[in-house]
Amino acid sequence: MNGRILVAIALLVLAAALVFAARPHEATADERIDQITTELRCPVCQGLSVKDSSSETARQMRDLVAQRVREGKTNAEIEAEFRASYGDWIFLSPPLASWSGLIWLVPIVAVAAGLVLMTGRLRGAGNLQPVEPSATQVAALRDRVAREEAAEG
Amino acid sequence: MLARVVRIAVVVALLGLVVTLALAFRRDPHDIKTGTIGKPAPAFTLQRLDGSGEVALADLSGKVVVVNFFASWCLPCTQENPALVRVYERYRGSDVVLLGVNLQESRENGLAYVKRMGMSWATLADDDGRVVLSYGVFGPPETFFIGPDGVIAGRHIGPIDEATLIAGIETLRARATR
Repeated sequence: MNGRILVAIALLVLAAALVFAARPHEATADERIDQITTELRCPVCQGLSVKDSSSETARQMRDLVAQRVREGKTNAEIEAEFRASYGDWIFLSPPLASWSGLIWLVPIVAVAAGLVLMTGRLRGAGNLQPVEPSATQVAALRDRVAREEAAEG
Repeated sequence: MLARVVRIAVVVALLGLVVTLALAFRRDPHDIKTGTIGKPAPAFTLQRLDGSGEVALADLSGKVVVVNFFASWCLPCTQENPALVRVYERYRGSDVVLLGVNLQESRENGLAYVKRMGMSWATLADDDGRVVLSYGVFGPPETFFIGPDGVIAGRHIGPIDEATLIAGIETLRARATR
């Protein structure tokens, strides 16, 4: 009994800790800079974010993001400024609400097509009807059985 | 029936992919449509590399402006420079203004390069890279064509040749006189 109470208390404490950790909190300026520069693509690198790149261009972009954060601009406003200059290309993940966002539909469409195909095949297999043998086939089979019985004596 | 429809859909999707890729590979890689094309050119006021004052884009309204982003450490910039020199001489004193924007280096290095390469047009220092970022520049050299209306009509990524420069300028001049 005591053991169950202890487990229940431990679970409650764990749940409370998780809720506390996941509570919404106001991001600090540094957290916001990290968040934005992680999403931005470094224009002179191969698939690197502005946050991860050590290039001069990325450094200048980080400085600009930091300045805009200090000026009180929202994340959306800062991202819009880069989009105005570079288009949606500047984001490492294509935004959902754009033509390039259609790329996110590809895996969903592929899985849906696979499911449809698989369902179609399974239904086709279930609908297989036994075919009645023709009179010639029945006669040939009877002949064969008779021959085998005769051979066995 | 359903499986047939799915098969047709897959074939159509594959054909679409092939057509899309074929069209994408036919495009000129120097002609990249980014956010700035067809929009008002971002305003800037930059100091001249030689420290002899500032140049504001707003003061050049009504003229055809060619903005060339360059750096001394950029080899393709050196390759395209003779074309820029010839085009500058061709349109000198006309309604066409050529501006060079030097990026990502010290003013001393930029100025030494400008003198060495015979660049007589206004060359400006973008010390903090803000103009580079506002124009969506990927890296030097890049050239932007701005019409008399202040709208960016075109951009060229990579080294530009004389014919492309003249074609870009003349298109905008013709548009202005229409």
